[in-house]
Amino acid sequence: MRPANLLRHGIMLILGAIWIIPLYFVLINAVTPPAEYRKKELYAPPSSFALGDNISTAWNAAKLGVSVGSTFFYATVGAAAAVLLAAMAAYAIIGLRIRHGFFWFMVLYAGTIFPFQMYLSPLYSNYVRFNLYDKRIGLLLLYTAIAIPFGVFVIRNHFTSIPYELPEAARIDGASSIRIFGQIYSPLSLNAFATVFILQFTWIWNDLLFGLTLSRSADVRPIMTALAGLQGQYASASIPVVLAGALIVSVPTFVLFFAVQRVFVRGLGATTQ
Amino acid sequence: MSQLTEPSTAGAQPVALRGPTTLTRWLHGIAPYLFLLPAVVLVGGWLLWPFVRTAYLSLTDYKGIGAPDFVGIDNYTKLVSDPILSDSFRNTILWVIGTLLLPVGIGLLIAVLTFELTGGALYRLPFLLPYAISGTAVGVMWEFMLRSNGALNSMLELIGLEGLTRSWLLRAPVNTWSMIVAATWQGVGVSVLLFLIGLQVIPRDPIEAARLDGADGWRLFRDITFPLLRPMTIVVVGISLVNSLKTFDVIWVMTQGGPARSSETLAVTMYRETFLLFRHGYGSAIAVVLSVIVLGVSWLYLSRTLRST
Repeated sequence: MRPANLLRHGIMLILGAIWIIPLYFVLINAVTPPAEYRKKELYAPPSSFALGDNISTAWNAAKLGVSVGSTFFYATVGAAAAVLLAAMAAYAIIGLRIRHGFFWFMVLYAGTIFPFQMYLSPLYSNYVRFNLYDKRIGLLLLYTAIAIPFGVFVIRNHFTSIPYELPEAARIDGASSIRIFGQIYSPLSLNAFATVFILQFTWIWNDLLFGLTLSRSADVRPIMTALAGLQGQYASASIPVVLAGALIVSVPTFVLFFAVQRVFVRGLGATTQ
Repeated sequence: MSQLTEPSTAGAQPVALRGPTTLTRWLHGIAPYLFLLPAVVLVGGWLLWPFVRTAYLSLTDYKGIGAPDFVGIDNYTKLVSDPILSDSFRNTILWVIGTLLLPVGIGLLIAVLTFELTGGALYRLPFLLPYAISGTAVGVMWEFMLRSNGALNSMLELIGLEGLTRSWLLRAPVNTWSMIVAATWQGVGVSVLLFLIGLQVIPRDPIEAARLDGADGWRLFRDITFPLLRPMTIVVVGISLVNSLKTFDVIWVMTQGGPARSSETLAVTMYRETFLLFRHGYGSAIAVVLSVIVLGVSWLYLSRTLRST
């Protein structure tokens, strides 16, 4: 082996170890029985394995389980609704050649440009006024709305690659706008739809800020808000429970990321959201 | 952007072959708007209108209840002399600098070192694992690492470096740097992936030619590889720049911007002023300033880098 390569292996082993050490500490202490946590050194493995107990404490006593259910609802329904509405809008712009199509595109796309802090105060006031504050439907509408601009961006790009002759021919045969959307554009765009769905599912699942702002009760608040609450409430009492909670809420996005890594990389290139 | 120059057929809607009654023609005319409407209602009502409203509230003394009173630019003049805000500005700049140095720099290093190295994918795995974890969960894990009786201090004692132990999250500016390290631990994987894509698409010939001329290691990287990587570097730096300005989750979970508001960034200050101190008008002014910075930085960055390439 050339000495230059030896050096590369050496540096990578050191860097890799530095990155693994925090995971080691987190895992070791997430499986520690809370009673033993105070008595042992943090780097030492515990004498008994209590991951299941810690997860069930976080899940039941700290009510992460309820939030997992609600968040699964927000992430699947919100991402799916955003895909549908974004595809319809992209179809109006590209497939139906709506007048001032580029203007409408910019109106929808403008939603990704600003920091979310620009939306928070009026959203909160309106949610209180219209009785959407701390309601599941309120969070669902917000998550759908915020996922649309990115969806329009990706799906519109994809629609432009579909040759216009296809829908044109169908139209001459008398196909309605809805049929052309459902039977020509949509089946040819399943990849783009899946990309948007996966990325927006992940985004909604990981949201903390809107959950903090627009919800309060355990039934409604999304999972990351619940985890932050668990940390504030249990941090001094039971760190193993908090760490187990942090691990369990990461499972869905973790699985998704390693199953479809390519989608995430493609998504990075498409936006800075 | 090619679709922008396509010949417009907007006026020439397809002819309805069956029953060209007024009704079907009318339906044809409004069909595009029916498809567009739901998205426009949601984006308009949930994002664009709040945006305009925030810009207006920044000129008022709105406190979350009652009617907002117009106060002109009072919030902005107050903002300039507010010591909390100057700390917040300083921390925001630290986040930008730290993010450009650490995740981007280390990501580049890892991508270059493991590119075409035997076992490279395995070496990269530790950096990808944290990327699949949310900012909130990373904050929870690193609060445990860095708290005064946490894992880092325990490890330092184990290896005989008691002298280095400290309260990582309790003093400024160490607490901000500590959180930047936590964000680096999570974010470096993205840069690695992007730089790797960049390395895969750069042409081979110049590198081979330079190798034959005896260039190796650092010189090969500095003179040949890095300049060729430029397009991807621009993307990675741009994404990191904007994301660092928007950082919220990690800070909120690890310190809530404290102690004594010493580790807030603009994104966190805005949230605290608005929702914990009920100064909606003042918080809106901070949101506007943050937006101007984000837009200004993106615009400056894009126009400069596009001009010079």
